[in-house]
Amino acid sequence: MRVATLLFFAALLIGPPAMAAESVSATMLLQSPQEFDGQQVTVVGELIGDYGYRDDGTVWTQLNDDPYAFNPLRDGGRLLGGNVGIGIHGAVGLFDGIDPPGRYNRVGPLVSATGTWRYHDPDRGGETYLEVDSLHIMRAGHRLSESVPTTTLVLGTVLVIAAAGALLLARRR
Amino acid sequence: MLLRPTADDLRLIAYNVARMLLISAVAGVVPLLWAIAAGELAPAADFLVMIGLFALLGGIGVASKPANERLDWSHGMVVVALIWMVVPIIGSVPLFLSGNFASWLDAFFDAMSGITTTGLTLAQDIDHMASSMIMWRHILHFLGGQGIIIAALSLFSGAGTATLYYGEGRDDRIYPSVRSTSRFIWLVAIVNGIAGIVALMLVAYLDLGFSFMRSFFHAATVFMAAFDTGGFAPQSTSIGYYHSAPFEVVVAVLMIAGVMSFGVHFALWRRRSVMSNLETKTILFTFGGTLLLTLIGLATAGAYASSAGLGRQAFFQVLSAHSGTGFSTIPSAELATWGGLAFGGMTIAMALGGMASSTSGGVKSLRVGLTIKSIASQVKQVLLPEGAVISDRFYQNGPRHLTDDLKQGVMAISLLYVALYLLGGGIGVATHVPLQNALFESISAAANVGLSVGVTTPAMPNVLKVTYALQMWAGRLEFISVFALVGFMWSLARGK
Repeated sequence: MRVATLLFFAALLIGPPAMAAESVSATMLLQSPQEFDGQQVTVVGELIGDYGYRDDGTVWTQLNDDPYAFNPLRDGGRLLGGNVGIGIHGAVGLFDGIDPPGRYNRVGPLVSATGTWRYHDPDRGGETYLEVDSLHIMRAGHRLSESVPTTTLVLGTVLVIAAAGALLLARRR
Repeated sequence: MLLRPTADDLRLIAYNVARMLLISAVAGVVPLLWAIAAGELAPAADFLVMIGLFALLGGIGVASKPANERLDWSHGMVVVALIWMVVPIIGSVPLFLSGNFASWLDAFFDAMSGITTTGLTLAQDIDHMASSMIMWRHILHFLGGQGIIIAALSLFSGAGTATLYYGEGRDDRIYPSVRSTSRFIWLVAIVNGIAGIVALMLVAYLDLGFSFMRSFFHAATVFMAAFDTGGFAPQSTSIGYYHSAPFEVVVAVLMIAGVMSFGVHFALWRRRSVMSNLETKTILFTFGGTLLLTLIGLATAGAYASSAGLGRQAFFQVLSAHSGTGFSTIPSAELATWGGLAFGGMTIAMALGGMASSTSGGVKSLRVGLTIKSIASQVKQVLLPEGAVISDRFYQNGPRHLTDDLKQGVMAISLLYVALYLLGGGIGVATHVPLQNALFESISAAANVGLSVGVTTPAMPNVLKVTYALQMWAGRLEFISVFALVGFMWSLARGK
């Protein structure tokens, strides 16, 4: 949590656009979406899933600011509930050269996203999302190494061999 | 006098359960291969353990092949109930080993939710979950929706295997033999699978701008969850993740295909009209009614500034609820704020469910239609002069007579669903969940829907996790197999 707090305050100090917007969490936006409708807000979190490059020159992706965004589960983090994320939408130029989004064994870039919160946007069929104007990368994305779990592998192999034996026995009977 | 099952009874049951476990072992190879191809080493080892367990237990069971393979009605029911309990128990092993679940109970809950095509989840950090693990959760939907039993029936034949078919809560017999019917059900799934995956891939690749492999991954997983009215999604934000009306349209079509009984699929393949069927009329009426309630509720609350937004969001959520899928394009936190008519519309839609012999849950439209007809008949009887004869007929793939036995059967199962909804709601309230949320979540579990207003979280009490898991199981099997298993266990313990 300390890391999260430090990163959060660091986000407030980075870049002039962030200073003008209210710093909020995704949880605040999801709990009171109407309250922030049309407001400039800044959210700090990890980009997750996919970058959807649309024909209109924009990108859709997801920004999570749950505990896993700051302390990845596969990098020593603990289980602390479900994911908390919001959809973000911005011009393709904002995503130039950005690291791939977070997935299994991959930590996505941690960004400070500033933009306008759109709640039930009438121009987009009632969707709710953050229309991003600026994106500041606070931590680059990176891959996590994965080791082969020897015990599980041996256990699995032994079970499969035993199963083959049982099936062979069944066939002979 | 209660008779204790003999050793032959036990061997017969073990033998038939074992055959299904072998099928599950084969199904487990798919995520294993996916894990190897995706370079997900730890999950690959987890799947190896699961396959080993399925195959070992399957092998031992098959080795106990009895001399008489004939299944009677009670054996078949017990086999079905056991399979639907044992498969999630073993299927939860890789989920637990994945590290995305706080306890084995949470992993079991997820596997039960998967196989019963519910979609409620206790998984944590889904957004960083291995793609092979996500694939396995969706394969559980597919296995459950299409039916492990159906898979077995299309491969094996044997005396009395039809009881397995009925034990799974199916009653459509499209062809004279259950084996041919089972093969037709798989054919429907394969054709819809190819069409659905291609359509979703095209949207994901061409419109959403995903990479080719990611398009395939999203298409395959979403297809299995939509067509089998499951509700798991590859990302934590469900279908809202895609921010795409065309994607939602394809998903909606797949949900509609999933909610249709295989009898209706058969009729449509033969270009026969199904509009005269009582079930079709009922589901159109209840879907229209619950959609209207939700629309009025949201409109009066001023939830959406545009009618296009209101229509799109209400239609998708109600279709998801009525079909028993459980996808959403809005967060749980927002769904929890839907009050009044909108909440009522969603809850009723979930409770009623889809068509009989489809992959959806709930009371089912045919029962709803027959219940309404029975009540109307009773009212007529009261209003007409004494001695007047009322002909209780209805049309369902041909003219049928609404007999007293049929009325009683329909009423009994419908009441059991209501009781199950209330029981889960009561236990929810007892664990300090507000009444409205407790009822919503209970209906969502028992009707195998999967929508949540935020009650189903890893932090909820274990008693509620067990309650919801049992509700999913009993609701999916439509009670009879579950009662047969309970009776069997009782006679095993107390019989002479």
